[in-house]
Amino acid sequence: MKKPFALIVLGSAIVAGSFVGCSSNPSEEEMKQLNDLKAEVTSLEKGIAAQQSEKAALLKSIADKDAQLTQCAKDKDAFQQRLKSGQ
Amino acid sequence: MKYIIRLTIIAALVSAFVINSFAQEKMTKEDWQNQIKDVTAKQIDLKNQFTGLQKEVSDLQKQDADKSVALKQCQDALTALLGPLEAPFVAMLDAIDARLNELTPLSNQDLWARRAEIDSVQNWIDIAQKNPVSAIQKYQDRLKDQQTRLDALKKTLASINANGETMPTYTVGTWARDRDCLWNIAKKPKIYDNPFLWPKIWQGNRDQIKNPDVIQKGQKLKIPPKAALTKEENSALRRYWSKKNAQATAKP
Repeated sequence: MKKPFALIVLGSAIVAGSFVGCSSNPSEEEMKQLNDLKAEVTSLEKGIAAQQSEKAALLKSIADKDAQLTQCAKDKDAFQQRLKSGQ
Repeated sequence: MKYIIRLTIIAALVSAFVINSFAQEKMTKEDWQNQIKDVTAKQIDLKNQFTGLQKEVSDLQKQDADKSVALKQCQDALTALLGPLEAPFVAMLDAIDARLNELTPLSNQDLWARRAEIDSVQNWIDIAQKNPVSAIQKYQDRLKDQQTRLDALKKTLASINANGETMPTYTVGTWARDRDCLWNIAKKPKIYDNPFLWPKIWQGNRDQIKNPDVIQKGQKLKIPPKAALTKEENSALRRYWSKKNAQATAKP
């Protein structure tokens, strides 16, 4: 009884191993390469978000200064007009 | 023997199935290659975006710096233009603010006692408005705010009597139902019980009553405290009758 049982187990292992051994997987180094690439993509996305934030802040600052420049020019004109009119 | 072979094949198939189902959770080489391709393409695209954005930000930083310089130049030029006129003007605005800060929290009684200062503050604001420096927008805004605060104090003052109490009011009804005119209102026992004091109501509500012969339903008239007609009220009464007589004489 023992001999046939051992034969069965050995035979199963050989047959099963041959099925599994058909497909290959990336090595550890290759997986590291993929993970590093993904990390760089994440980092680039964060960097882009930060740049977009800074761009928005700069656009607002430029608009504010433009408004102040316009007001400054108006103030100069208005003051000079008042001086001329003698008020 | 046949039995053993059949059993071996079945056992092998079952094992292979079980082992493979575990093996499929690990990435295949083909999957890895596809992912490398996709992620690399994404990386290149993002790098281009990032580079582009960096340049834009750099250009905007330069623009912002240039605007700061231009703004400072304009503000310096304006300061030079205003010259020695600005400092005393600002001191005047500060004095107006200080006085308003004193008057605003006063009780009605104290405000009544200091009512002459309200006219002084109005005088200061009028003088400041005539100053050329007031043409500058920020000073215009400041003067406007001061006038608003002063108007609020004037409104409070107009609604209180010498004791600092809020004056009672009377809401005008209709001629048809209530026979409301200034004479009849002053005649009411709850008001003055004396119709001859009607000019007091007229003068106390000059902002609402242009012609004392014409009052409107719904008008809320302040009722000044009962007292003899003042000099101003008597003058107004004389002018009223004078005008009435002139109109009566002028009619054909």
